Amino acid sequence: MEKVFSLEQLPETAQWVWEQAGDIKVLALHGEMGAGKTTLVHALCRSKGVTDVTGSPTFSLINEYAAPGSGRIYHLDLYRLRDEEEAIYAGVEDCLYSGYPCLVEWPEKAPGIFPPETLHLYLEPLNEGSRRLRIGRN
Amino acid sequence: MYLLAIESSCDETAAAVCADGKILSNFIATQKVHEMYGGVVPELASRAHMQHIVPVVHQALEKAGCTPTQLDAVAFTQAPGLIGSLLVGAQFAKSLALSLNIPLIPVHHMQAHVLANLIPEERPSFPFLCLTVSGGHTQIVRCNSPLDMQVIGETIDDAAGEAFDKSAKLLGLPYPGGPLVDKYAREGNPERFSFPEPRIPGLNFSFSGLKTSILYFLRNAGTSLLYKEEFKATDEERTAFIQNNLADLCASIQHRIISILLNKMKKAVEETGIREVCIAGGVSANSGLRQALKETGDKLGWKTYIPPFEYCTDNAAMIAITGYYKYQAGQFADLSVAASARAEWE
Repeated sequence: MEKVFSLEQLPETAQWVWEQAGDIKVLALHGEMGAGKTTLVHALCRSKGVTDVTGSPTFSLINEYAAPGSGRIYHLDLYRLRDEEEAIYAGVEDCLYSGYPCLVEWPEKAPGIFPPETLHLYLEPLNEGSRRLRIGRN
Repeated sequence: MYLLAIESSCDETAAAVCADGKILSNFIATQKVHEMYGGVVPELASRAHMQHIVPVVHQALEKAGCTPTQLDAVAFTQAPGLIGSLLVGAQFAKSLALSLNIPLIPVHHMQAHVLANLIPEERPSFPFLCLTVSGGHTQIVRCNSPLDMQVIGETIDDAAGEAFDKSAKLLGLPYPGGPLVDKYAREGNPERFSFPEPRIPGLNFSFSGLKTSILYFLRNAGTSLLYKEEFKATDEERTAFIQNNLADLCASIQHRIISILLNKMKKAVEETGIREVCIAGGVSANSGLRQALKETGDKLGWKTYIPPFEYCTDNAAMIAITGYYKYQAGQFADLSVAASARAEWE
């Protein structure tokens, strides 16, 4: 499935992503630097009622936000990690299998630790600031 | 009054001892202990903290000339950070407080960065504004007294340090590239390339749009800031463009990051009327930012303060000074206090 969206269409795109996710808790966001991953995470969190500031976790690795429905949402960024082992030591696995929603940037750094039921989101910039979002189970 | 402080919120394990608010020792595992003990120091995570915490605390106590039984309190970083890393410091501090029967003091890492400005002799008077800039954070904090402060502005996406590091990555410089951007920027022309300044309401910051325009600018080998298929340059053209213009690119990028930071500080000064202005956090090592803050301050009649570098990056001395003020106010915790990854403070 795929969708092309502009910055203005982010809120409805976020809602569409959550509908596609259904019971799936872990969302892996693929895309180059500047593709809009953190921006999409922001919209996904707002759509779940998060009011915390949703900054980039590139440095902190794992951000935790309070969410009205699920209790919390984890926002992870594996950019600085080398492999699965580092991800495990950093506590990434604990989040992915916690049962709380997890939004993960740079998942390709440690592909081996994701649960089989992960929703993969592929973001790509298009002309004039719009983005293409493709969704798949693998 | 002796206080031991422990910091383990991210990559570094640190310990410091202060006596009546004066720092006696300040150790960080990735530096001194690594040199002394040798061996591999893993970059990340709780396993490294577990290996380092005992030697680092031992070093800090020894340098301070203080034994564990002389301690009157132990302070530790409670939030925010990597939960596995925070837990190591928290459990260590709790065990020590329990065994010595002394007060346990939880400290918020971001408040501690601000109070690092109270360590040097020449310190700001209250109320003051602090711009905290690091790899993970960008905040403007209004500090009314040591234990009364509010975040009045912060980044809504990337941190300033991250903007430096990711720009460096796009330029092909090794991670973390912030210091290299600073180095090349000294030789370059900051007016050569103009990157857009985001229009974010209030005192908040945004750096992700800047990152994206740098990305597209380099992708197009300097012909445009926009993403269009027909502007895309070949790999050879891109590489040549970066090589031939590296200093000017670094200077222009650094110039824009600094102007984003200082324009919000100017606005914060206008809105609050406070002219005591500090910086804190690892990015305050950036020579361009230090110089620009001083020049802006001189021009606009601010008194500016920049703590020594060892108190700007993650360190335990700042946890110690914060712990000292909380000790005076009797702000202790019992052993049920939990480490937290959340960055918000009440």
